[in-house]
Amino acid sequence: MSAVLKPKSKLIVCDGNEAAAWAVSLANVDMVAVYPITPQSSLVEYLAKFIADGRLSSEIVDVEGEHSVLSVLQGACLAGARTYTASCGPGLAFMFEPYLRTPGLRLPLVMTIVTRDTLTPQSVWGGHQDAMSVREVGWVQMYCESVQEVLDTTIMAYRIAEHHDVMLPVNICHDGNYLSFGAARCELPDQGEVNEFLGEKDVNWHVALDPQRPMAVDPLTGGAGGPGPSTFVRYRKGQCSGMQNSLKVITEVHEDWGRRFGRHHAPLIESYRMDGADYAMVTIGSMTGAAKDAVDEARARGEKVGLLKVKTYRPFPAEAFATALSDVKAFGVVDRSVSFGWNCGPLFQDAITAMQYAPRRIPAMSFIGGLAGADLTVSHFERVIGRVKELARDGHAAETVWLNEKD
Amino acid sequence: MGAAYETIHFKAEACDGCNDCMTACAMAKTQTEEHLHSRIQIVPSGEGFELAICRQCGDPKCVLNCPAAALSKNAGSGVVDWDGSKCVNCLLCTVGCAYGGIAYDSIASHVIKCDMCEGAPACVQACTPGALKHITTARIYNEAGKLEDLFAPGLSGCQGCNTELIMRHALRRIGPDVVVATPPGCIPGMGSVGYNGLTGTKVPVFHPLLTNTASMLAGVRRQYKRAGRDVLAVALAGDGGTADVGFQSLSGAAERGEEILYICVDNEGYMNTGMQRSGCTPYGAWTSTTPVGERAHGKTQDAKNLPLLMVMHNCDFVATASTAFMEDLYDKLDRAIVAAKTGFAYLHIYSPCTTGWRFPSDQNVEVARKAVETNFVLLWEFNPADGLQFTHPVENARPIDEYLEVLGKYRHLDPDQVAHIERSLANNLARIRGFAAAEGTASAEAGRA
Repeated sequence: MSAVLKPKSKLIVCDGNEAAAWAVSLANVDMVAVYPITPQSSLVEYLAKFIADGRLSSEIVDVEGEHSVLSVLQGACLAGARTYTASCGPGLAFMFEPYLRTPGLRLPLVMTIVTRDTLTPQSVWGGHQDAMSVREVGWVQMYCESVQEVLDTTIMAYRIAEHHDVMLPVNICHDGNYLSFGAARCELPDQGEVNEFLGEKDVNWHVALDPQRPMAVDPLTGGAGGPGPSTFVRYRKGQCSGMQNSLKVITEVHEDWGRRFGRHHAPLIESYRMDGADYAMVTIGSMTGAAKDAVDEARARGEKVGLLKVKTYRPFPAEAFATALSDVKAFGVVDRSVSFGWNCGPLFQDAITAMQYAPRRIPAMSFIGGLAGADLTVSHFERVIGRVKELARDGHAAETVWLNEKD
Repeated sequence: MGAAYETIHFKAEACDGCNDCMTACAMAKTQTEEHLHSRIQIVPSGEGFELAICRQCGDPKCVLNCPAAALSKNAGSGVVDWDGSKCVNCLLCTVGCAYGGIAYDSIASHVIKCDMCEGAPACVQACTPGALKHITTARIYNEAGKLEDLFAPGLSGCQGCNTELIMRHALRRIGPDVVVATPPGCIPGMGSVGYNGLTGTKVPVFHPLLTNTASMLAGVRRQYKRAGRDVLAVALAGDGGTADVGFQSLSGAAERGEEILYICVDNEGYMNTGMQRSGCTPYGAWTSTTPVGERAHGKTQDAKNLPLLMVMHNCDFVATASTAFMEDLYDKLDRAIVAAKTGFAYLHIYSPCTTGWRFPSDQNVEVARKAVETNFVLLWEFNPADGLQFTHPVENARPIDEYLEVLGKYRHLDPDQVAHIERSLANNLARIRGFAAAEGTASAEAGRA
């Protein structure tokens, strides 16, 4: 990241929820539909305030629940609107029916998940379980590390989602509590420059509800014995292509953002001090900051440890991931959620699947921490580093380690 | 296509011979009360009365008989016009007419006949017992007959499907500047949205989820409004998706006053998927999930009164309608279309289902009519200014048996169940009458204030 402020940028101090609201304001969104839920509520309030103050010209629909949030936005998008919403946890679960349908309709909706652990036990605190639970549905998912990255990624999300080779909805995930309420220095880019970056909005060229272009949207595909299933397969494959195309588009968009605004965020995965690393930690989201500090301290002690941060989680950048880790002797993956049935974290599962691209088998271990808002500190990552160092030495992976169990 | 014309209907059994119609006509045409000048004549006949008035015939004998071209059939209004400047007083016209519709006025010294008072007949307005009725149904034919049917021919509805009738009439009236949402049910089931790449609709149409019809339409409408385009957002939804799983989005949209015309086609269950029970299925009805056996005898709960629930949302317009009363339906459709440009309009149309209710497919409209005549279905409308008003009040309802006995889904009913239905209908009628009276009072008080 550049420390020098761009001439037309403005410097503010804000939390992640406000940063997302600023991004929505800068992205010239037409339609916002929201339902408040902890820890997203202040984001909704910022949007309402921005609209009340005339800073944001979009329409805001205060609907009666998250199910209608996505439904209103699907209708608006089919009529040509650039759209935005944010939700999490139980709200995300409630909107699952239209959520599931959005990628199939190829609608470039943009939605923040202010991540929260799912019920039960009752909890209103941060954790990735909500976002991870919808990872296979077909939305692009990007996880942010900092408040600035929330703002920048939210604007970039529109260019990614609306790219003609992608046309898919995008989730920007920022950690409940840590990013939603943690205030930080944040550069606000210039409106004119954002306009140039985003270009003309073009959201329903491929499918529309418009009397000037009458068409039937999503008629029934027939069953076996007719052309239905093969039509269905073509749509599914198209959706997969859009997803894979997005890897390239995400990279290009991040590079262009860096050129224009001077902030170079790693688009897919970020390699941190991986030069000559014997072993590595894999992180996702806001925990990465503390993990990087732990790596710095270990490096200062002369330990050859590096870090890999996953930003783009869906589609999973499998080849880049495997390449980045191909030279280590072992790695540990720290998840902020659980994959039930595998007794490990979901990112760990993805990691070991991606490692099929590596030239040899590399021992790996799953760590789960930061559930229900628990803090992941430098000392937690020191434990991870210590355990992975053992793994690199003896190659014996242990059962999943639960980092906050005895805090 | 030819035109159809308006006429005056005479209900002989309602006439009490007060002759107010004749007074009104004489006043309207000659500013006197002299009955000889009246174009309408009430004639005592046995115990009752007969009507002598011009029927504005399609093939008028008076016109044919007139040697001076003083009489002519007006192709626009349908009225047989008399031109005094051409009349030669030969009275051949009076010989031609079998209805006593044109007669010599000895005071005025020329023939006189009804000219329909330019569409607002004075006699009808003066008739307190309601024996005279201005029949205007022809306007549906004249106004809507030429409009394009915006559904393709050959939709795969069941034979005699009432819902298809409603869809075609509604969209014909609404026109092409529309986005139509039809959630899963009979309406898309018959191919309106389409199948394997073909569509049955000529306007933009889509399948919302069963749950989100109102909210998806809200997004469509809001975006067009934002873009400065007047595109009507219309739902054609079944009762299941409306009353049950879709009710939250419906209620939210109504509360927010989203600009939507929501038409609920109520066939009292999930008919498309095999006749399962919905929240709108009436008490006692057989459905595939409220079967009839030794222990169970159909549904054990009453239907929820969905249109009344929408009144409670204070929508800009709420009405019930029936395909047996098309003029009433069209009037409500017109008002709903207007209301949906500024607020939420809800139209609840009863749609007897020949397949699911088990009655012969040629008795569709007859069943719909019986539902109204027995007060099983009440026809009313509501708007916040005028409150709730009956549009077709039925004072002397026919016995409910006459409705229940024609429907296979009620064949198993025992006397206790029929008694329950009678009680429910009486309660419902009293409740709606209460709203009608209360709203009327409130409006009158507001008017005085």
